[in-house]
Amino acid sequence: MIRVRGLRKDYPGAARALDGVDLDIAPGEFVALIGPSGAGKSTLLRCLNGLVTPTAGEVRIGDDVVTGASPETLRRVRARIGFVFQQFNLQRRLTVIENALLGGLARASRWRSLVGWFEAAEVSRANAILTRVGLEGLADRRVDTLSGGQQQRVAIARALLQEPAVVLADEPMSSLDPALAHTVMESLRRINEEDGITVVTSLHVLELAQAYGRRVIGLSRGRVVHDGPPDSLDTAATARIFGSASR
Amino acid sequence: MTRRSRWAAWAVILGAIVWSAVETEVSLGRMIEGLPFMWDFLRRMIPPDLSVLGNALRGAMETIQIAVVGTAVAAVLALPMGFAAARNAAPPWLFYWARSLLNAFRAVDTLVYALFFVAAVGLGPFPGVLAVMVYTATVLAKLYSEAIEAIEPGPVEAVRATGATTLQVLRWGVLPQLVPQFLSFTLYRFETNIRAAAVLGFVGAGGIGFYIQTYLRLLNYPAAATVLLVLIGLVMIVDFASSRLRARLV
Repeated sequence: MIRVRGLRKDYPGAARALDGVDLDIAPGEFVALIGPSGAGKSTLLRCLNGLVTPTAGEVRIGDDVVTGASPETLRRVRARIGFVFQQFNLQRRLTVIENALLGGLARASRWRSLVGWFEAAEVSRANAILTRVGLEGLADRRVDTLSGGQQQRVAIARALLQEPAVVLADEPMSSLDPALAHTVMESLRRINEEDGITVVTSLHVLELAQAYGRRVIGLSRGRVVHDGPPDSLDTAATARIFGSASR
Repeated sequence: MTRRSRWAAWAVILGAIVWSAVETEVSLGRMIEGLPFMWDFLRRMIPPDLSVLGNALRGAMETIQIAVVGTAVAAVLALPMGFAAARNAAPPWLFYWARSLLNAFRAVDTLVYALFFVAAVGLGPFPGVLAVMVYTATVLAKLYSEAIEAIEPGPVEAVRATGATTLQVLRWGVLPQLVPQFLSFTLYRFETNIRAAAVLGFVGAGGIGFYIQTYLRLLNYPAAATVLLVLIGLVMIVDFASSRLRARLV
């Protein structure tokens, strides 16, 4: 499903963000990406859907090569990949359902989508997804009147409306308090188990990675330094990922 | 800042104020001597002559019309100018030129533009519309460009990540962040343009100012008083309505 080879990313005037990452993720996996801040987790996730262009290396999603893809190919790849952001990245002045409907832009007819005239089938699909993530009855509320946990579920609904094969989540719970973190992780687990959607989520809390990840990939200074099931995270592995000083 | 340089700064500010007051012949004595004349001026306005109410209302309507057309056209003209003058939307050379030009044009006030346009197209409300339009376009372009520069990149990135086209990203990632602000700025300028358009008549560019000036010149103070009252009412109504509308936008 996801194939990464020799991925490197240099930001001008900063340390190398990714330093030769090789990775294979099969359909239906639930992968937790862990590492200290600055390890390259966000950059890696953003390279997977082409939001960040890597300096070198190759990313493949299914049969499509993301790196160096034409704008059309890139849009097609992105349409199949839901992305959940740390800061939710919703349009705060729009309603819950309008935000969710944005997940269907790629398949919507161009001119209708520009005037905001969404098809009835899309609206009922969006309503069903909102109910599923526990936001029934809130469809017409402005997003900025919701709690953080609800906003993140709007973002998940937007990703689900894409009917994605993959959902990438960049520290989806780190703007939320710990109790809400579990509801967001629980939503991700459900879409993985019930819909077979491949989930790759970065986490900075080791315990969440152990509780939810079926495969844990440790990143340190832009390199993969650990890859295995959660119970393989022993003291030595944690030290490799987070440095021996911490934990 | 050191203590000494702070004292020096205050001394310079105080010096500038005193120097300006002396040069402009500020004199408390002359103001007190003028008080009876001010009183006389006001007293002669009472009671207002309501027989000119028709003229006053006609002038007020024309002032509104000047502000409406001038602001509306300016709001449209300011859109491309605003994007050109936004650091994050325009290439550097365009940004630089757009900003400089806007600053230069904005240095000149509506009334000065009105003098220019009266000379160019003749007396009447039309030069007033042009004056309001040119000044407002440059002010709105500056405000728009600042709103564009303050846009949040996150929601834009999120829409792009769904596989949306560039147009869709603009429509759903960028516009929802800008439209309420643009409308709010435009309404605010409409409010100020009512006041600006009210004095355009002084230089022959139409509106209620024409009647104020005419009656004052004819020493017909009761008539001038009626026109002034209409103007005050007009400004208050427009301010109230517009600020209510703006509060609902944000």
